[in-house]
Amino acid sequence: MNSLAEYFHTDWEAMTTNDWVGLVMTVVTFLLMVGLYFYALRPKNRDKLEKNRFIPMDEDRIDSGEKNGG
Amino acid sequence: MDAAAEQKYNLGIVRWFTVMAVVYLVVGTLVGTYVASELAWPFLNFDIPYLTFGRLRPLHTNAVIFAFGGCALMATSFYSVQRTCGVSLWSDKLAWFVFIGWNLIIVSAVITLPLGINQAKEYAELEWPIDLAIAVVWLAYMFNFVMTLATRKSSHIYVSNWFFLGMMVMITYLHVVNSLAIPVDLFKSYSLFAGVQDAMIQWWWGHNAVGFYLTAGFLGIMYYFVPKQAGRPVYSYRLSVIHFWALMFGYVWLGAHHLQYTALPDWTGSLGAAVSIAMIIPSWGGAVNGMMTLSGAWDKLRTDYVLRFLIMSLAFYAMSTFEGPIMSIKTVNALSHYTDWTVGHVHSGALGWVAMVAIGAIYHMMTRTFHTEMWSTKLINAHFWTATIGTVVYVVAMWVSGIMQGLMWRAYDEYGTLAYTFAESVEAMHPYYAMRAIGGMIFVTGALLMLINVLMTVRKAASEGSVRAASTAAVSA
Repeated sequence: MNSLAEYFHTDWEAMTTNDWVGLVMTVVTFLLMVGLYFYALRPKNRDKLEKNRFIPMDEDRIDSGEKNGG
Repeated sequence: MDAAAEQKYNLGIVRWFTVMAVVYLVVGTLVGTYVASELAWPFLNFDIPYLTFGRLRPLHTNAVIFAFGGCALMATSFYSVQRTCGVSLWSDKLAWFVFIGWNLIIVSAVITLPLGINQAKEYAELEWPIDLAIAVVWLAYMFNFVMTLATRKSSHIYVSNWFFLGMMVMITYLHVVNSLAIPVDLFKSYSLFAGVQDAMIQWWWGHNAVGFYLTAGFLGIMYYFVPKQAGRPVYSYRLSVIHFWALMFGYVWLGAHHLQYTALPDWTGSLGAAVSIAMIIPSWGGAVNGMMTLSGAWDKLRTDYVLRFLIMSLAFYAMSTFEGPIMSIKTVNALSHYTDWTVGHVHSGALGWVAMVAIGAIYHMMTRTFHTEMWSTKLINAHFWTATIGTVVYVVAMWVSGIMQGLMWRAYDEYGTLAYTFAESVEAMHPYYAMRAIGGMIFVTGALLMLINVLMTVRKAASEGSVRAASTAAVSA
């Protein structure tokens, strides 16, 4: 292969239904993963997510009415 | 003695699964060591068909993956889901059905595999009637787990349960599709798929058995038992969320990397390798998350032998989840595939990660479900060192052997003909096969020490009457 353009060349005319389904699923999965990284690492969501890490430490309080912050 | 837990939760089923996991660990690794010895000293099959490598090897893999691994997963998931949800199992009867059913499946594997009754699909060798039984028992296991989650008292479902549930959902789907077959009689069936499609389905199952059963399930163990044993919350819950979803989205794409340079379309192998490389990020994120849980309390490793198993398992997890993606790259795969390097990689994951994290969790549960201390702490320490040294000896032997095999197979002389015959490469492997068998013997010695320790602890609990005392003691509200 001579160039990046050649490497990334795609014959769109030759795409079958299966190819399109696969492509859409791949792109959607990628976008969902980007959304997940954004959600999990957003500073605003830090406390909301991190409070759950104490659940195994607080097992005895789970049925005491506190419901682990719920 | 935790009388409140004994009276509130179903710990009886956990005790049985825990002890049986240790029994199967010994059986599975013993058979594995025997077949490894057969490769080094072939006379050991004694010309008895039931003892040949081809028949005992699937017995070894089924025993360690489904008997030991299955019992360990069922014990740990039933234990941790109750404790993190604040409720007993949804159905005790269904849990006992799973225990009896799973063990009957294991017995049927022990009978049929040495007889040569085999579907010839790796890690899915059992014939169709047993496959159906697996599906029924597995669904019962998942249904009980889901219903326990549904009746929980906590508002949030802790991340270890996500991993267990992810495993259950995906293994149902993978097992059913991969096992689709047309039976011709009670003991023989033919796969519904043919040719390259059959290979693709087989390795879609094969790698996802690794990804969802031996990784996701055992990460469920890690996310509950490492914080519990360390007495500290997991380092980062956000990292665990990313770890979970990246694993669920990513792993299903990897199977094709087992079929590089075959009739499979070239792009599928490239895709499998690309996603394999991408998976290093969440895998290492998870390993770091587990290890950093000990941040500020590393001194505990000096005295807590159980914690040593759990942290050592994470080191092996990090190592094998780096090695695997590297081996999936076509250039490396051209050297490594069909060689012992693959066997070494599998065992660094299986012995170093899966077995060690499960062993740590089992020791943790033994004291909390039998309400007594382990019979011998020294034996746990001896087990840790035999397991670690045995694994390292095994893996190093296979690395050297595998790379040497790959290099010998591809060596050409100045005339373009192969430099070595296949028989010469086999002869060159002999010292490493002997070394591998010795590594296995060291590991199985540790497993035997564990079995002795576990059985003596059960006996100690019986003589102390600790379980009975916990179940009848007065508990303050």
